[in-house]
Amino acid sequence: MTRSDTDTALDRNGDSAPHVDQATMHEAQSPGSPSGRRDELAFDRIRHHYVSGSRRIEVLDDVSFTVPEGTVACVVGPSGCGKSTLLSLAAGLARPAGGTVSWAGAPVRIGPNPHLGMAFQQPGLFPWMTVRNNVAIGLTTRGRSRQDARKIADEFLQTVGLADFRDAYPSQLSGGMAQRVGIARALALRPRLLLLDEPFAAVDAFTRLKLQQEFKLLLKLDRPTVVFVTHDVSEAILLGDVIVVMSQRPASVLRIIPVDREDRNRASPAYARKLAEALECLGVTSDAEPE
Amino acid sequence: MSTLRDRVMLPLLGVILALAAWEATVLVYRLPVVVLPSPWNVARTLVDLIGTAPFWRNVAVSLYEFVAGYLLGGACGIATGLLIGEWRRFRAAATPVIESLRFIVPFAWIPLTILWFGTSAIGKILLVAYAVFFVMVVSTARSIALVEPTLSRVGTMLGMGRWAIAFRVHLRAAAPGIASAARAAAAIGWIAVVAAEYIGSSAGLGFMITNAAMSLATGVVIAGMIVIGLVGAGVSAAIHWLSRAWLDYR
Repeated sequence: MTRSDTDTALDRNGDSAPHVDQATMHEAQSPGSPSGRRDELAFDRIRHHYVSGSRRIEVLDDVSFTVPEGTVACVVGPSGCGKSTLLSLAAGLARPAGGTVSWAGAPVRIGPNPHLGMAFQQPGLFPWMTVRNNVAIGLTTRGRSRQDARKIADEFLQTVGLADFRDAYPSQLSGGMAQRVGIARALALRPRLLLLDEPFAAVDAFTRLKLQQEFKLLLKLDRPTVVFVTHDVSEAILLGDVIVVMSQRPASVLRIIPVDREDRNRASPAYARKLAEALECLGVTSDAEPE
Repeated sequence: MSTLRDRVMLPLLGVILALAAWEATVLVYRLPVVVLPSPWNVARTLVDLIGTAPFWRNVAVSLYEFVAGYLLGGACGIATGLLIGEWRRFRAAATPVIESLRFIVPFAWIPLTILWFGTSAIGKILLVAYAVFFVMVVSTARSIALVEPTLSRVGTMLGMGRWAIAFRVHLRAAAPGIASAARAAAAIGWIAVVAAEYIGSSAGLGFMITNAAMSLATGVVIAGMIVIGLVGAGVSAAIHWLSRAWLDYR
């Protein structure tokens, strides 16, 4: 791939969101999605620990918060505090040691959740599949035809600026590119519950800003319920409706900070105040948080 | 120029020197043909041998025993390895049995297979299967244990159930490890066929060689040994070629 190829892929991004809108809107209306759905994710007095050798390490200590339907909760906290564990519990990948996680009014069960899309910290791409098939496979396992799945995969790859890499294998991608494929795979499912574990961590600063904007547009399309784990407080302010600030391990919720439209304007004093508030909670005075 | 030298001239020189050492040994010690025939003599014997029907029948018998045993042992080995990788209780029950049997080398079973199955093909097939099985069980289970845990989580996220993840994610992700084990198993399986045929058989390359040795046709013995080497190399190359399709993403 030459440099100019990548550039054109990024250039096309500008008009890709309406494109996705048109092509996939009609099929996005999953059963029960419009009026009256209660796609609420609730963590209720969650405790969790894991065992390392003979030691029992407490990870989560009495974590409670609710993410109302169609809102974005950004979870920030020191590294290793159990943010990823929280997502695993919500995704039905692990059972909490105490408390309940509920989704749409019912306790989360271990196993697949047809409403779920998730992007992991490690991209977790299948190395034997092309980039396009990596994005398409979630759609085919959920019953879409192969042809549809490919078309949708291509659209979402364009959104993350990787249309030219659809026939590449994951081993040929950089870490940031692989992570973008992971995001495209989660978004292509048009999930009602979207869980993202530091999805832009390995992405360069410029692409990151572009992806954040794209991401906001995509969220407007389907209005999924989102939990977004990040260590970047400014990203949390930009993308979140609330910021959930977690403490050191064993983690509990230190504060839930609501974010208004005005707070997202980086030039405004409101933004600076939010940033200062969140950072103060975390016990730091700059956003050079170690992660 | 240097590639021509490194790729053609030097290897050729090595082969010529080895043959010369062989020829020199025969000449210097004035060895009779029965003890050690000259390379030229062996080459002529080999050419004569290739023209006869019984020779090809023996090759076919050995290959049949090998392929049947290899497929049987390979399939059972991969299936068992997958179960060990996926099912904790099965692993707990199967591990002691496998660990205690796998150090009883296949050749230790030859007397028993002759006792049970005589000189028939079945005994050899089972012996090859046994040899291949343990290589495949251990490496399949290990390759599955090494699959990146995120891939299983991704499988669940994408809506796959436990066994879909086992086959479509774990087994597929373990394929490179399984394929390289399959090549190692082929070498061991081929050794097992020849060894079993040496000790008790009524057909096959090993039988041909022991028969020739008893009638002091030393040229045929060495020619047969060369054929065993060639077939083994061919089998290994064929399995490498077949497994390439599964590994082309690396």
